Amino acid sequence: MKKKVLSVLLCAAMVASMAIGCGSDKKDDTAGKTDDKKTEDEAKGGDVNGDGKLVVGYISKNIVDPFHAPINDYAKETLDGLKKDGTIDDWTGVLDGETDANKQIDRADECIAKNCDYVIILPAEATASDAAVTKMTDAGIKVIVVNSKTDSTDDVAMAYVGPDDVEAGKMLAQWVIDNVPDGGKYAHCQGVIGNSAQIQRGQGIEELMKDNDKFESVGDFPCEWQADKAANVATDMMNQYGDELKAIICDNDDMSSAAQKACNDAGRTDIVCVGVDGNENPLQMVKDGEMGATVLQDGPGQVGGAIDLIKKAINGETTEKEVMIPFVLVTKDNVDEYLKK
Amino acid sequence: MAKNNSKILGMDREKFRMFMGKYGIGVILLIMMIVIAVMEPSFRTGSNMINVATQVSINAMIAYGMCLAITTEGIDLSVGAQLALVSCVLGTLISNKGWSIPMACLAALVISTAWGVINGFLISKFNMFPFVVTLSTQLIIRGLAQLVSGGQAIPITDASFKQIYSVKIGPIPFPIIVLIIVTILMYLLLHWTKFGRYVFAVGDNMQAAIASGVSILKTKTGAYAISGFLAGIAGIIFTAKTASAQSNIGVGYETDAVAACVLGGTSFAGGVTTIPGVLMGIFIIGFIYNGMNLIGIDSYYQSMTKGAVIIGAVLLDMVMNKKNS
Amino acid sequence: MADTTMKKEDYVLECHGISKAFGGTQALKDVELHIRPGEVHALLGENGAGKSTLMKCIIGLHQQDEGSITFEGKPYSVKGPVEALNAGISMIHQELNPEPHLSIAESIFLKREDTKGIFLNKKAQNERAEEILRKFDFPHGAKTLMKELTLAQMQMVEIIKAVSCNARMIIMDEPTSSLDSEETEHLFRTIRELKEKGVAIIYISHRMEEIFEICDRVSVFRDGTYIGEREMDGVTRDELISMMVGRKVENVFPKTDCEIGDVVFRVEGLSGKGFENITFEVKRGEILGISGLVGSGRSETMRGIFGMDPITSGKMYLDGEEIKIKKPSQAIKHGICMVNEDRKNYGLALHRSIRENMALPTLPIKQKAPLLNKRKEEKDCQDMGKMLTLKAASIDHDAFSLSGGNQQKVVLAKWLLADPKVLILDEPTRGVDVGAKSEIHSLMCEFAAKGMAVIMISSELPEVMGMSDRILIYHEGKINGEVMREEILSGAANQETILGKAFGGK
Repeated sequence: MKKKVLSVLLCAAMVASMAIGCGSDKKDDTAGKTDDKKTEDEAKGGDVNGDGKLVVGYISKNIVDPFHAPINDYAKETLDGLKKDGTIDDWTGVLDGETDANKQIDRADECIAKNCDYVIILPAEATASDAAVTKMTDAGIKVIVVNSKTDSTDDVAMAYVGPDDVEAGKMLAQWVIDNVPDGGKYAHCQGVIGNSAQIQRGQGIEELMKDNDKFESVGDFPCEWQADKAANVATDMMNQYGDELKAIICDNDDMSSAAQKACNDAGRTDIVCVGVDGNENPLQMVKDGEMGATVLQDGPGQVGGAIDLIKKAINGETTEKEVMIPFVLVTKDNVDEYLKK
Repeated sequence: MAKNNSKILGMDREKFRMFMGKYGIGVILLIMMIVIAVMEPSFRTGSNMINVATQVSINAMIAYGMCLAITTEGIDLSVGAQLALVSCVLGTLISNKGWSIPMACLAALVISTAWGVINGFLISKFNMFPFVVTLSTQLIIRGLAQLVSGGQAIPITDASFKQIYSVKIGPIPFPIIVLIIVTILMYLLLHWTKFGRYVFAVGDNMQAAIASGVSILKTKTGAYAISGFLAGIAGIIFTAKTASAQSNIGVGYETDAVAACVLGGTSFAGGVTTIPGVLMGIFIIGFIYNGMNLIGIDSYYQSMTKGAVIIGAVLLDMVMNKKNS
Repeated sequence: MADTTMKKEDYVLECHGISKAFGGTQALKDVELHIRPGEVHALLGENGAGKSTLMKCIIGLHQQDEGSITFEGKPYSVKGPVEALNAGISMIHQELNPEPHLSIAESIFLKREDTKGIFLNKKAQNERAEEILRKFDFPHGAKTLMKELTLAQMQMVEIIKAVSCNARMIIMDEPTSSLDSEETEHLFRTIRELKEKGVAIIYISHRMEEIFEICDRVSVFRDGTYIGEREMDGVTRDELISMMVGRKVENVFPKTDCEIGDVVFRVEGLSGKGFENITFEVKRGEILGISGLVGSGRSETMRGIFGMDPITSGKMYLDGEEIKIKKPSQAIKHGICMVNEDRKNYGLALHRSIRENMALPTLPIKQKAPLLNKRKEEKDCQDMGKMLTLKAASIDHDAFSLSGGNQQKVVLAKWLLADPKVLILDEPTRGVDVGAKSEIHSLMCEFAAKGMAVIMISSELPEVMGMSDRILIYHEGKINGEVMREEILSGAANQETILGKAFGGK
């Protein structure tokens, strides 16, 4: 029965490695506590947990969608640069949040395990991802929330750097009002419901459109930020309302560009589609004159703002609690400026 | 070919092959742990080990259910949607209706188990393809979740509910306790009960099982009901972890569960699996995420690595189990 | 032969000094085989004697380690069945695996389809197939789907396919194992026709009668070695058996007379799909043989009794009390057990251990506690294994690892553990080698001696006649006669009597 013995050994090895780990863990804990006190005294320095190393964590929202890809690239470039010039000792690399609060909480665990001093997080969800933020702040990490807030960001995070999504929503609505002077029916393609960007952009749109007698909403359609779903909404609504449909407002411009394409393909270039983000494809459409405008969210600018805050904190300067990075309305006139990026 | 009597680790060739067939995955796990531990000191800490065990508890519940489904020659694709439904039911009952936490959890488990029963009943009674059935019920279940939650995220502020994920008994967080208990129960269920024997028999050769007096209806329905129940537990842990009830969670969670099953030696042809194997598969998946993040390997390479590890492990398994024929 | 240079000793196929090992197992040792053109050459040997391995070397599924093969005077080496077919050698396997959704024409021209550019030329293909089918008097058209054919017809399609490929040699592995007597006769007619055309046939079978009937010469194998070849004229059955097993087999059927008791089981007016108004009874200690053609309703009746298929009307009595059986689990509870004819599909879970297989049907009876009592189970299985002289390294090994005969013993064991009152055996010795066959026969006598009622379905007339106390003969779903052992012993009934009744005679 050698195999039984061996299997027992195997299990024992697993348990032992965990037990040994537990043993050393206690030491870490006590060390952590004394260090905490130290940081109170030496709060000026960048080394928050006082382990002699300055480590930055970066938890992305995801690594696949076209809005987040350039943000992650910019973060990677900047943080690699900081590591090279010695401002920080190390960073975690781009941790993949998979647009899943559960996974972001797991990544937060890893930032804690890695003894990070600062962590930049782009939350997947307002409520669900909050545990990731509080978990890290409880562990003494200074957390900078970027792009959208979690529930307790204002209370526990070191700072929030983000766009003003209500403002973005208003910009969308204003563009439609300006470009469809006679008014008419419009559709609204929403992002993932419950997402703070979705809620706030919707709020901004609502604020302007509600009081405008010329415009009538044909409905809010949950499209989960996805282009193909928005394109379907566009074709369906064209079928249903024909010429009465004048505009499609989308919570992001992946959706608005897809919707515009569907309209153009149906010969309805008159329908005004507009959305937020400033992804490459919509920008190209603006440049080619296929779409009127898009509202650019300066994602890299946001994460850059967060990294600037960390640099300030390391230098002992005071940091702002909230930094708003403005949106830009991109039309044919200024599109070249942003497309180059 | 090598000689008959060559010995490896003191076992003769055939025995070694059988051992590796059964526990080879453990060796892979061990090697993986050692490599990561050498490369990254923070991996070795007890708190990190506890982290991983806590993290994998959600996938573990789903994987155990999945291995039952796969072993009966099926698959349960509805588990991800089950997470969402459980989450939304919990959110509505606790936050909106003011139910007590145990009652809400019980209700959520009853609902997820009921969906498991529905899956199993459709599959066994009408001899439908499990893939098709669970692919369809998955849509219905997610739709229900959206209906229950109204498409909105429902925050669950009750601190004692969050405790389900964070409370510790000694140094051990509660999800690990759940993981240990469920692992033991599943081990007993599959390897020490009649039901387990029926699951294996039905999965390996359904006709022979029928001819031996095994009820396909009871066995398959039971298997999918347990899968639903475990998805319910996963959903409770998930919701307690995120303190928010949402209908969009759990998308794609089948993948990791199936991966863990396959790594653990579960055969898609049915009839073959072991709970210790699946547990090791679960930890391998957990360590791939955790280890690579700690080492600082780019996220882009992680899913590739996961895919490569699964194919590698399955290939290794096949080589080890290669039969002379 | 038209070719004058061809002497009697010119062989179409010569295998010389073939050896093949798998890992540590020497499957073939220095084996010879000489086949003349236009002869039917039998291969004899117990299961595992190396016949199949040698055939697989010939059709390229295996490559021999040593030795040479010459086909039609030229060195011959192929990498698979398709190449072998192109070279002129075709093999018809024991277990046919046709694609059920293909038509006959598609099946015949599989992998060598008629094409017009990149498209299939279905019309031309069907016409060609029709033509070939007519030559063979095949009762179905070329567009008929394979799944609509009987096993015998599928086999015929395989043979037609081989001939249409201009095969000069056809290997038939247990071709009659699923055929009834009439179908077997038809096959033999075809074989004789092929012979006249100069096609050589290698005929693998365990059925001695057939070999004597159809074959010209025979090569005998034992444990991977070549024992010798004989002309069928002038060799005796006993001589062949002793060549095969290396010892003399005294009595082919070990039937012992044991005390026959009261009626245990009785069915009255049983009807269902494929059988109607069946009434019979079986007594304690009796072996009841069931004969008849394949498809005459024998297996269907038994499947109905065992609860595998629905019964539309009729009654069943066990020990005088009426019982109702709707599913196998009920039958098992009543002590009625059935060994199915199709071991691969209905017998065993091959990837599970011997122990799990043995214990499966009796779990509800023997394991009442929530957790299994594995110690008790192990003892039961070990005891049963010993009683049946099961050859297995451990009861924890997969059933897959066993030979056909030993797998059949595991199937028997799982039912014996249920302590049955009525044991139904459907073709219990199909695909089982001679040694295991006689062991199974002895076991049947032992069961009867213990007071079990044994019902045995068999397509082999000698087996039915040699083993049964009483024989029921089926014809087209009804019982068409009964023959007692005494009649057979006294010579009042013989093979012709039974066959006659099976064909509907009085």
